[in-house]
Amino acid sequence: MSPRRGAASFAVTFALALGASSARADDEPKSPASLPQRSGTVVNEDGEVRLTVAFRDVVDAEVTKKLTSGLPTVIALRAYVFPDGGTEPVALGAKSCRIVYDLWDEVFRIQLTQPGGTKSTVAVNLEGVLRQCAEARRLSLVERSVLADDRRYFVAALVEVNPISAEMLERIKRWVTRPNASTAIGPGDSLFGSFVGLFVTKVPDADRKVSFRTQAFAPPAPEKKE
Amino acid sequence: MLAKRLVVSARFGLVAALVAGWGGVARADDDPYAEFLRDEAAHTPAAPPTPEAPPASPAPPAEAPRPIVVTAGEIGAGLPVRVRYTLEGIEVRGNLRTADRVVLRYVPFRAGDVLDVDDTEIELTRYRLLGTGFFSAAELSLRRGSKRGNAVLVIDVVERNTLVVRSLSLGIAADEDADGTARPLSPFVGVDVAETNLLGAGVTLGAGIGLATDQLALRLSFSDPALMGTSNAIGASLVYAKAQDYFGTAAVSFESPLLDQREVTDYAVVAYKRIGGTLSFGRDLSVVTQLRLGYDLERVEATVPTVASHLRGGVREPIDFDILGGKSVLSELSAGLTYDSRDSPSLPTRGTLASATLGAGLGPVGSAYRYQRLTAAYERWWRLPWSHVVRLDAFAGAVTGDAPFFKKFYVGDFTDLLPDRVLELAPDRRQPPNFFETSIAEVRYGDYAARLAGEYRVPLYAGHESVYAIDLFGSLGLYAVATRRELKDPPRGYEGYERIPFDLTYNLGLRIDTNVGLATFAFSNFLGLLPARGGDRK
Repeated sequence: MSPRRGAASFAVTFALALGASSARADDEPKSPASLPQRSGTVVNEDGEVRLTVAFRDVVDAEVTKKLTSGLPTVIALRAYVFPDGGTEPVALGAKSCRIVYDLWDEVFRIQLTQPGGTKSTVAVNLEGVLRQCAEARRLSLVERSVLADDRRYFVAALVEVNPISAEMLERIKRWVTRPNASTAIGPGDSLFGSFVGLFVTKVPDADRKVSFRTQAFAPPAPEKKE
Repeated sequence: MLAKRLVVSARFGLVAALVAGWGGVARADDDPYAEFLRDEAAHTPAAPPTPEAPPASPAPPAEAPRPIVVTAGEIGAGLPVRVRYTLEGIEVRGNLRTADRVVLRYVPFRAGDVLDVDDTEIELTRYRLLGTGFFSAAELSLRRGSKRGNAVLVIDVVERNTLVVRSLSLGIAADEDADGTARPLSPFVGVDVAETNLLGAGVTLGAGIGLATDQLALRLSFSDPALMGTSNAIGASLVYAKAQDYFGTAAVSFESPLLDQREVTDYAVVAYKRIGGTLSFGRDLSVVTQLRLGYDLERVEATVPTVASHLRGGVREPIDFDILGGKSVLSELSAGLTYDSRDSPSLPTRGTLASATLGAGLGPVGSAYRYQRLTAAYERWWRLPWSHVVRLDAFAGAVTGDAPFFKKFYVGDFTDLLPDRVLELAPDRRQPPNFFETSIAEVRYGDYAARLAGEYRVPLYAGHESVYAIDLFGSLGLYAVATRRELKDPPRGYEGYERIPFDLTYNLGLRIDTNVGLATFAFSNFLGLLPARGGDRK
């Protein structure tokens, strides 16, 4: 085989491989509409579309342990309003809870941030934490007038426990992405097979995530003022 | 822009927040809203909470966007109630083999400190511990101390196996005679294993072996990645090699003291032994920048052909082996700076890896080889909107003075169609493929080298268990390796661009990211064999 024929065969092989791989869709993100559904209540209150929904299942045994660890735990909800059948959100509502268990007063100190303000409160037990932080109660999503009267909508929500910020991720990268000996001379790519042992800690972007969607709803009728 | 589509109510004078991490976690690939988060929210400028903000306009989203974004840091800032304790002590649990002091190296708190539970150092400590590789899990918590206001920091760890295979490489070396006739293939292997937490002391002891036909290399290494709990690292290694290398371009004629070398008529063989050691010191200058200083001392014993000549560009001339016959000493000081902002060392999707190294063979401290070696390398990764990854890599290097050949630039390290060196053994005797029919065929070791290549990576599989990802990759590039003579006295028989010793390189393969490391299966080793097996390259 001549060198030029070798190059040509490589090009063909590579093109075929790329073509074959394009059919794969295993890791494509789910569409919001295909998320597991749970029931929520959507109301129109003072011209504001508000959502009530529970997501207590985000607090499993591991998260419960974290809640009583004495160190802060954040439970964050973001709720996107999608047109039914659409893939682009038209509005977003959010809620964040920061919970610290006070070892000596034996209470959970909670900082709650949501539309309406930031407030500090206290829960005396886990049930109180769940009520404050694992439920959205009349969470403001969007001005009613923004939604079209002739369309239906649904809310897709993502709840995260201890989401890691980009800033924090940058800081931890120093340790988790440069493991010991990672700079050692390793084999190159021109060998048939090579293996480089890298105990790289995969950093999840949250300790736990739960995502769901609500049922589709028609925009609640505007309140009539008398 | 999503920002233009989202309307976030601020009717009650508050901020609707993209809660912690939304604006920043760029690895939103597995998020159901990955596109939105990655492309839009991640670049939406953050705004602080503004309780006095006016109500949002009820206009359609595209016309009157009112995105208000709060980042994690801002959400967490200014807690009305700060919880602080006096740290009474630190308790380490679950460490059966690892000494407490090794764990405590990574904890920046001491008894008596005032511990603010919102101190980010607490969370960072967890990742420092995970980053050691000693533990599969690390959790921090607090428990009451002996008196009110006191707390004990409890660190629970789960130890992992620390006897690991650091690298394993397999390849096939080939040979062909002057007529291009194939000779038997010979496999070669390189293995490096290490105990990364020796006797629970947090230090690494490793051993490596490289095996090829008539060649052997051994390496014993020691390193302490956190010397005395600091960000300084030290290392030491012992190396031994009993190796051969092959010289001459065409019609090689030589005489050698080694009897069995007479059987090889197409290459003049240099047999050599290297025994010595390396001391190194590393320091993190910043999160992404590392400095490394090193000192190598080796004894080299080479058996060089007494008389050897070959045809260079069709003209017979003596072969320069670039090594001293008999026993000699090599002493080298080196310094290197590395910038590493990759998001992952295994399958990066963004970031830069750049390095510059300077080495010098030092006559005053006993080196028989006086030389300087300067290299600069740059690699950058981009993630494309459709999740494929592109990498660009560039390399340039120069050696001046009289360096031994194994400190020069080996052509196989630049073309993927010849095997790389394994533990500094170069088992493949072939000349590089020569697609452009340039004078690259005349070069095995060069004083100057450059490479510019690109790689395209296609994710095939993404998982969360033992296999994290499988990517198909293809690469294409140009490289050049030249001796000083290529610049001053190019070989005859080449015209125009052919006088520049450069050629094409390419590769195709799979990279598999697993929970124990990165495996690569590349086809270039086979692709590189095709011309040799075809018998028409020369």
